[in-house]
Amino acid sequence: MKRRNIVALVGVAVLAAALTAASTGATKKAAANSLTVWLQVDAQSGWPDVVAAANQQFQSDHPGTTVNIQYQNWGDHLQKFDATLAGGGGPDVIEMGNTEMTKYMAAGAFADLSSYRSTFANSSSWLKGLAASGSFGGKLYGVPYYAGSRVVTYRSDLFKKAGITKLPSTTAEYAADAQKLLAKNPQKGFSPIYIAGTDWYVAMSFVFDYGGGIAARISGTWKGLLTTPKSIAGLTAFKNFFLATSRASKTTDETHPNPYDVYAQGQAASMIGPSWFSCCVGTKYKAATAQFVMPGHVKGQAIPGFLGGSDLAVPVTSSNTALAADWIKDFTSTSSEKALQAKGNIPNATNLLGSSVNERAAARSWFVPTAKHWVDVENGNILRNMLAQILTGKLTIKQAASSASDNIASVLNQP
Amino acid sequence: MAAAAETTLLRSRRRRRFWGRALRGSIPYGLILPVLVVIGVILGYPLYWLAKLSTERYGLFELIRRAGVSVGLDNYRSVLHDSIFWHTLLRTVVFAAVNVTLTIVFGTLLALLLVRVSTVVRLVVSSGLVLVWSMPVVVAVQIWYWMTNFQNGVVNYVLTQLHVGNFFQHDWYATTFSQLSLVTLLIVWGALPFVVITLYAGLAQVPHDLVEAAEVDGARPWRIFLDITLPILRPILLILTSLSIIWDFGVFTQPYLLIGQSKITSGNYLMSIYLFEEGYFKSDFGRGAAISILMLLIVAVLSVVYVRKMVRIGETQ
Amino acid sequence: MSSRRRGRRARQAGWNAVGLAVFVVMVFPVFWMISTAFKSNDQIVSLSPTWFPLHPTLVHFRDAIHRPYFWTDVRNSLIVVSVTVAISIVLAFLAAVALARYRFGGRKLFVVLVIGIQMLPQAGLIIPLYVVLARYHQVNALTGVIVTYMTFVLPFSVWTLRGFLLGIPKELEEAAMVDGSTRLGVFIKILLPLMGPGLVATSVFAFITTWNEYIFARVLLNDQSKQTITVWLSYFLGSSRHTDWGALMAASTLTAIPVVVFFLLVQRRIAFGLTAGAVRG
Repeated sequence: MKRRNIVALVGVAVLAAALTAASTGATKKAAANSLTVWLQVDAQSGWPDVVAAANQQFQSDHPGTTVNIQYQNWGDHLQKFDATLAGGGGPDVIEMGNTEMTKYMAAGAFADLSSYRSTFANSSSWLKGLAASGSFGGKLYGVPYYAGSRVVTYRSDLFKKAGITKLPSTTAEYAADAQKLLAKNPQKGFSPIYIAGTDWYVAMSFVFDYGGGIAARISGTWKGLLTTPKSIAGLTAFKNFFLATSRASKTTDETHPNPYDVYAQGQAASMIGPSWFSCCVGTKYKAATAQFVMPGHVKGQAIPGFLGGSDLAVPVTSSNTALAADWIKDFTSTSSEKALQAKGNIPNATNLLGSSVNERAAARSWFVPTAKHWVDVENGNILRNMLAQILTGKLTIKQAASSASDNIASVLNQP
Repeated sequence: MAAAAETTLLRSRRRRRFWGRALRGSIPYGLILPVLVVIGVILGYPLYWLAKLSTERYGLFELIRRAGVSVGLDNYRSVLHDSIFWHTLLRTVVFAAVNVTLTIVFGTLLALLLVRVSTVVRLVVSSGLVLVWSMPVVVAVQIWYWMTNFQNGVVNYVLTQLHVGNFFQHDWYATTFSQLSLVTLLIVWGALPFVVITLYAGLAQVPHDLVEAAEVDGARPWRIFLDITLPILRPILLILTSLSIIWDFGVFTQPYLLIGQSKITSGNYLMSIYLFEEGYFKSDFGRGAAISILMLLIVAVLSVVYVRKMVRIGETQ
Repeated sequence: MSSRRRGRRARQAGWNAVGLAVFVVMVFPVFWMISTAFKSNDQIVSLSPTWFPLHPTLVHFRDAIHRPYFWTDVRNSLIVVSVTVAISIVLAFLAAVALARYRFGGRKLFVVLVIGIQMLPQAGLIIPLYVVLARYHQVNALTGVIVTYMTFVLPFSVWTLRGFLLGIPKELEEAAMVDGSTRLGVFIKILLPLMGPGLVATSVFAFITTWNEYIFARVLLNDQSKQTITVWLSYFLGSSRHTDWGALMAASTLTAIPVVVFFLLVQRRIAFGLTAGAVRG
């Protein structure tokens, strides 16, 4: 009996040793002949052929090197990235959201790509919004990958039925059209224009349209701009626009529910959002769905739209910076960008811009303050809470903007 | 001559007895050795790292350089002086208390029910419980959200149809109380299967003839439960209660996903969400480590009563 | 006699009704998940709930299975979970026996360690665990995930199995020892069978916890060919675009099947009555 016990123990010890020693073969350190690239899963489902073409180009230039593409999720790719920064084994190229870049650039997470700038296609005419997110302290850390703007997706059949013959060219006209739509569609919960209450992307578009802003760095310190007269005018315009045109909840965001789900249920005549919203409008309304550029309050001008997008960066932990830069060059080449454009994205340079609704909307755009702590402002829901307070009437616009502005400034000014 | 031989024999027998006893005495250590080795090898360094980090200023900058700056107990001081920490602590304690109570009470009732039903129904119900158990949390949260969302949730629909009131497009996520109640329902629903099945396994240890004898003597079911069933279930109930306290205090995924990141504010933080937002979202790893250790100490205090009872049961045997 | 039997049968019928009602309420969300997997996209978002899809569609199941690496990742999950549960239950049982039946120095310390490990919030362990495993070349390897999961499963398994062991009366072992077996022989020949229900409950819990574990698998496994099924599922929700709910529900339904199968295979051990007749009151 004792012997059986000892044998069992020895067996367990051997097993444990085997477990720890066994997989040394399985995880060889990334040799110089392999490049690891982290792209978001959007690429895997949206444009796998563009990725494959870039890999092919890269491999013909570097025959001995294999490219290992690992797809990531937006929700936790930064947690994974942090772990690799601490323990090694990270990627050579990583796709970062343009709002995620500044924090990591400030911490020194990326390699300096300034010397490779001239090798990247169209680098002299990169989109301003994307290029700004990839530079820090005068150096280049992120190469613009692609962008997306905000457009109006609408039901042309409902517009026709309401007697709207031409698309609105100012927000005032749009609001008036909304009343016509409301008259023809009196059912409960119907929104002529579905905008979520705390959709700060739309709200800030109004603020920037009136010449206002969120925050600016003045002599080294961040100052909140939401209390300036122009910003207040923008917020007031947004509040009035929302109350006149949207029956969405005043306190929930633009993913609960998704605007395109509301649209697919027949409860919205139009919605403001990314251009890919048209994918999911349901079989009933797909044929009648079209898009137009959201107008501003001045005739002939589009409202500035939030320019979302991604950059490609090379982590400092990578030992293949030159190869990584070369892969990025292949993935952001003119042909690659044109292929991305064909899939409905906005390419990374102004000379490549076409005339799709998405691209025309990007002509006027705004971007978040490029501050190290901007992500904390977003995560802290400061702007969302401000909008909820304004729309529900809990606070006056001036009060809500003032407290939000102070909040933002204190967060951005943290060391 | 014979005396010398006898002493040698005695000495060798004593030696054998000594080594025999030593080997037998080493059996328990040998039994716990594998567990200690696994936990020690894998968690040893992380635990040390966590403790060290809690005394350092360690953000993203320091992470990349793999070197922190020692700041003593500053992290702890800043957390303990944060009023949000104390409000969150109170909220989480109440939340955990409600969750644990509901889980244990309903779990016990369901386990007792399982004993009384026929074999077919038992299999159906326990398979159903396992189905519930097997749903990935993310999916369960999404289903829960669909059922309760104000746009087209079935809960609103059913409640309105049953004339319980007008719940047309009622927003269940408007107030903190409402949000946390829904999270509680979700968590209890997800926790019941483990509790029920474990308790049922424990009930299977209750001697059937003892129960029958008591029933023949005319004892009421309540008395049978208190006098026969409960004492046998006691260790398992203590375990389940202590585990539930630990898990419900530190639960993260369900509240975070169900309430949604955009609706999380310092007004509806739970401890694990506070840890995540104040520590990891802000990449303030030193602070996160300090909060983790504080959470460990708090949970230890909250569960010490049950843990000590559990340990004592083992000691008296 | 027969009237009492009739009374008992009526009471059982009553309990059966209650049991089935409980079943319906508890399982409703699962039913919603499965029925959504068969609904068309329009039905999924429609304003009025579709209780039962009258024209079920298999397109979501087809979509789910055809996403890359589905079967590979299922296989990886099965490997990780079965190895973790098998080894952990054995090791935990040994440790639980030590705690419940032996007196030895440091016993209380070990108990405190076991219960204390579980009180640590896991979020804090992600980065240091990654660093440790990277040092042993266990990143992007199933074995790395297995030993990680073992550290999560062992504490509560030891704790729970100890509880079950304490519920078994010592008289049984003493009776067997009088009959001549050694202490360890008693454990293996008598205790182990009596622990059936406890072992089953604990292993089902270990199975489900490791089957559904996400964040450590996500951080530790890089190659899609090595990932587990929970990571595979997360790709449905990881894009910045819309989520294909029908496919996600179909995929989740598929991934729930192994768990239910495992339970059905082991559940009989719980139903067996044990000490009935073994101990004379």
